[in-house]
Amino acid sequence: MTASDAYVVGTGSALPGPPVDNAELARHFPVNAEWIERFIGTRTRHFAVDLATGEQRTGLAELAATAAGQALAKAGVEPDEVSFVVLGTASPDSLMPATVNLAADILGIDRVPTFQLQSGCAGAVQALETAMALLSPDRPLGLVIGGDVCAKHMDLRRGLGKLPPSELVNYAIFGDGAGAAVLSAQPAPGALAVRHVLNRFTGLGRPPGQVINWYGAAGRADGEQPVVEDYKAIEARVPVMAGEILWELLDRTGWDAGTISYLLPPQLSGVMTPRIVKELGLPGTVEVSVVAEVGNNGNALPFLQLDRLAEMVRPGERAVAVAVESSKWLKAGFTLEGV
Amino acid sequence: MTPVAIVGIDCRFAGAGDPEQFWELLRRGEEGIGPVPPQRWDVERYVSEDGRPGTANSRLGGFIEDAEAFDHEFFGISPKEAAALDPQQRLVLQTVWRAIEDATIDPRSLAGSRTGVFVGLMSSEWGNLHMLDFEGLTPQRGSGNGYCMVANRVSYHLDLKGPSIAVDTACSSSLMATHLGVSALVSGECDLVVVAGVNLMLTPALSIFYTQAGLSAPDGRCKPFAAAADGIGRGEGVGVVVLRRLEDAMADRQPVYAVIEGSAANQDGRSNGITAPNRWSQREVMARALERAGVAARDLTFVEAHGTGTILGDMIEVNALGELHGQGRDEPCWLGSVKGNLGHTEGAAGIAALIKTSLAMSKRTVPPTRHSREENPRLKLRENGLRLAKAPVQLPRGRVLAGVSSFGLGGTNVHVVLGSAPPTRWPARDGEAGVLTVSAASPEALRRNAAALLGTLGATADAQLSQVCFSSNRVKASLRHRLAVAGRDRATITGLLSRALSDDAAFEAATGRAGARPRTGMLFTGQGSQYPAMTRRLYEASPPYRERLDAVDQALRPHLGYSLVDALFAGGEEIHDTGLAQPALFAVEYAMGGALLDLGVRPAFMLGHSVGEYAAACLAGALDLEDAARLIVLRGALMRELPRSGSMIAVKAAVEDVRPLVDACADVSLAAVNGPGDVVVSGDSAAVAAIGDRLAAGGARVTRLTVSHAFHSPLMRPVLEAFGEAAATVTARTPSVPVISTLRGRRLDGEPMDGAYWTEHIEGTVRFGDALAVALAGEPTHLVEVGPRPVLLPLARRAGAAPASVRGLVPCPGPAATGAELAETIAALYLDGVEPRWPVLYSDGQRVPRRLPVYEFATAGRFWVDGAVATVVRHTRPGEPAAGAAAPVTAAAVEVGHDPVIAAIAAVGGYAPAEIRLEARLQEDLGYDSVILMQLMDQLKAGFPALGRIPVAEVVPQVATVADLLALVRDPAEVA
Repeated sequence: MTASDAYVVGTGSALPGPPVDNAELARHFPVNAEWIERFIGTRTRHFAVDLATGEQRTGLAELAATAAGQALAKAGVEPDEVSFVVLGTASPDSLMPATVNLAADILGIDRVPTFQLQSGCAGAVQALETAMALLSPDRPLGLVIGGDVCAKHMDLRRGLGKLPPSELVNYAIFGDGAGAAVLSAQPAPGALAVRHVLNRFTGLGRPPGQVINWYGAAGRADGEQPVVEDYKAIEARVPVMAGEILWELLDRTGWDAGTISYLLPPQLSGVMTPRIVKELGLPGTVEVSVVAEVGNNGNALPFLQLDRLAEMVRPGERAVAVAVESSKWLKAGFTLEGV
Repeated sequence: MTPVAIVGIDCRFAGAGDPEQFWELLRRGEEGIGPVPPQRWDVERYVSEDGRPGTANSRLGGFIEDAEAFDHEFFGISPKEAAALDPQQRLVLQTVWRAIEDATIDPRSLAGSRTGVFVGLMSSEWGNLHMLDFEGLTPQRGSGNGYCMVANRVSYHLDLKGPSIAVDTACSSSLMATHLGVSALVSGECDLVVVAGVNLMLTPALSIFYTQAGLSAPDGRCKPFAAAADGIGRGEGVGVVVLRRLEDAMADRQPVYAVIEGSAANQDGRSNGITAPNRWSQREVMARALERAGVAARDLTFVEAHGTGTILGDMIEVNALGELHGQGRDEPCWLGSVKGNLGHTEGAAGIAALIKTSLAMSKRTVPPTRHSREENPRLKLRENGLRLAKAPVQLPRGRVLAGVSSFGLGGTNVHVVLGSAPPTRWPARDGEAGVLTVSAASPEALRRNAAALLGTLGATADAQLSQVCFSSNRVKASLRHRLAVAGRDRATITGLLSRALSDDAAFEAATGRAGARPRTGMLFTGQGSQYPAMTRRLYEASPPYRERLDAVDQALRPHLGYSLVDALFAGGEEIHDTGLAQPALFAVEYAMGGALLDLGVRPAFMLGHSVGEYAAACLAGALDLEDAARLIVLRGALMRELPRSGSMIAVKAAVEDVRPLVDACADVSLAAVNGPGDVVVSGDSAAVAAIGDRLAAGGARVTRLTVSHAFHSPLMRPVLEAFGEAAATVTARTPSVPVISTLRGRRLDGEPMDGAYWTEHIEGTVRFGDALAVALAGEPTHLVEVGPRPVLLPLARRAGAAPASVRGLVPCPGPAATGAELAETIAALYLDGVEPRWPVLYSDGQRVPRRLPVYEFATAGRFWVDGAVATVVRHTRPGEPAAGAAAPVTAAAVEVGHDPVIAAIAAVGGYAPAEIRLEARLQEDLGYDSVILMQLMDQLKAGFPALGRIPVAEVVPQVATVADLLALVRDPAEVA
């Protein structure tokens, strides 16, 4: 779709606890710090669970509310001015109540429509597009949030030595956090105009590249992996899809590649992302990436990138964001322009 | 009409102790109606089901809690006087204070302003009870009563010079007070107006009256517009709004609840009886208010009606509204009445309606009207263009308008048209250092109020921290007992605050008292203290530092040829090149010291070590910034070109032992004498090394300094001529702050810091030890080290010169600085009595006042009537300490506990003798005005006849504290 008038007027981030570096990670899990550095490229990440005590220090609702509060404050918007809230996540605190409503409660937001999208890395873009569709004269300002907390998948009690490498690697890749943006129908100084949003399912007939299972009282079957990734497929497909997304976004926005100042690439990992950026071939653009410092934050990532971008971008400068969700092969991205 | 903003609100109604609870009650459609508390009157004696003469037909009403509690200590009112005050005065006084704080204004900042006070009330049952007790009439009881005194007491205690008026138009009193307050703002008579309404029920008189007039609901509840409506239930309350012209409020960035767009008042004149409402007059007053607001009735989304819930009253009011709203509307107008929740609060009814509507505007929700599920069909609301909100109704976006009606029993009608506040955006940003301040009347109150503030910090975003700190400085910094914590992020500030509240030592460290006058000296660090990227964090975190450093960067640029800020924060080791080090230290110190001056620090002296003297001279006003910038760049550049053939050593030895060795070498000198056993030798490397060896052999500790050149030595001589020529054009000015020279080792009295001075400065010995001794002789309370890291403070401490009682402050502790240390320095000075210019601490975009929790008054002191018409007694709730007993009893107080003079001083104010502290001020702390002092003197004369010879009028102005009075009584001749 093409946006008429949607502006990001405030951004915020929330990362739980202090950063956890690879050496510390290796103290808690049978992973090798050097190996992570070299093959995954993530240097630090944050966890909602305190690795030392195993206690969960925060939930997704708190992180989402903190990020959103920060975005509201930077926009100079009071919580009661918010006309709707959209949250994208793959890891809600509970299936009910939806985490978006708990976050709204913490923020002091009441009596507005709320939505929660069950989504992966494309979730932020899905939330953004949903929010843009909701903007109207009666609902001139909304809150868009993305975040994930992998606490439910961090089993500190089990003997990790027995884990297959395909499961173990997730401990090195993922991190927890939330990001948020205030979306307004009105521009404001320092705002980012959303020019075009791309958000598309492209996985017809293609097996999932990533599966995260969930379990109820019936528990999981013996030997079933809660998180499964097809790394070979991801490695092969994502760079190609990223290129297609970039090309399509530029084409739809009518922008020449040479006019782009900032690139927000897919945040797969500290090693994969630079590889994709290289293949995208946008010389002269500044890459805005966070994955090496925060790990793969799922739904939070594009917002964390946006939060960083907002500090840098000047009026008239252009930015392109590209995201790929390899679960069932979703293409996502958007173009932005400094106001 | 000039729009008037409602900027502050505070209130207490039945079932709601503050505006937040009030809103919750409204939003949920709840009520605060309950039985008459036993404290009020013997309900069984004055009640009957059938409402026979002399009785009321209901046992219920809307009563507020803690009506008898009063923080007399806060206002400096003695217990005896507090007990003699109409509780309506006490309630209004406290509520006004809180409402002004809610308006993001420090009530103390209004002293002397032409702020107006308009209080609506329609009864003073306290007065009715007490003024008939002729035996018990005291001066305090006289001034403790009367409608006017409710307003006048506010003006007195807050020192407000605008009109101060009690308004009685019966049930419309407080909306009439609003109308008058608005007029005072529109006419320009006042710039700020406080409007209050208050109503307390101490006797059943009006309940009996309503019953006898057939107006009283047997269930004690108003059921406005309901099929079940059957009369009035009475309610208590106190409400205050703070008003300001919208333009002024916007310019001040104050948060606005709602805007009064128009108001009007009229009278029924000769209607169907003096108490009968009049439809035409009601219509007229509403039309007139709409006209003044420049809007049509159809523009109103909501009307808060007078809505008492009498069949006739509801009918007349709906018909009057129908004349305006019955046609031309797309949708019916929402109709409500707060009386369904609170009862009819009489003198406070108008302000209750106004506050409800203001909150509805700011929350953009019309709360439901209680008892409205089954509306009275005979009112034909729809036909009259009206509908009742049966659940909370979301107001549409954009500008929304509402009307508020209040009609008096005697026919005086008021209508106010409210508009929603104009949208504002004040984007916040994180990373700036701020100081969070709280202040209170006593240490206990400080804890209580700090805890309240801590409670709201949880919901504060990091980005809002500066705005919250700024607001706390603006609103909550001026009371005597103060707490301050500094930081750059919420976690730091909340951590410090919660530690202060849980740990006595931390509380001690984070608190202080106003009143002291610190003598602060500034010490400017010399060369050698520099390091790569020094003060970068401070530059990021502190707008005043950033502003000053940018200014000095501009001044240096023509001489340096590049930006010092860029070079400095590039972070390279070239900072140790003296060509950069000297201008960089000057810039950093000028900016740091300048920021301190901008923040309101008034130093007693400035003292600079060597190069540090440049920033000191400049900030003291002895040297212009342009001259200083030119000279320091030249100084660095010239020295840089000198051969690197010299070196410097620090020696721990007596100057007498070093001097002969130095004097024996032509190319060596005493570069600095930092203290009696703290000497620096500088000059030709070989010669210096030889001297060092000899001193070391003699047992002295010798440290080789890492320097590029032998500063302050004969090796500097080649630059003197060129420097002297350039320095000759310097304009030496008379400093505005005393400068203690390290070149002279004494204070410069009239000696100019001219070209010759600065030329001599290059080679001359740095006599820091002597200069410091001079500085300390002036008994400073604080020394601030202005430099990139502390060097001089440790030097001063090492020599044992600076006593431990002198507090050392470090705005930049070194490479590990967080950037918050300048803010911490200001916080420390504030706790010790400095009154900082707080706004300077924040960038313009962060100087946005935000509402914070308002002052929480003590509730331990309770004052009430005992019996229907009887003497006043002091009550204390079981389990709570007696009023004032929580205050620390000093040793002095214990000692004097049995002193007859103390006993008399205590008795006259109703204090316990142990509560009287020697240092307590008679007027400000004990609340003894001249009338009470006269009484006291009369009593004392009985026991101390010598006093009788002194005219009391002469004594009063000379006696400030309890101690003064004791001295006088014991030795009257001293005073006479």
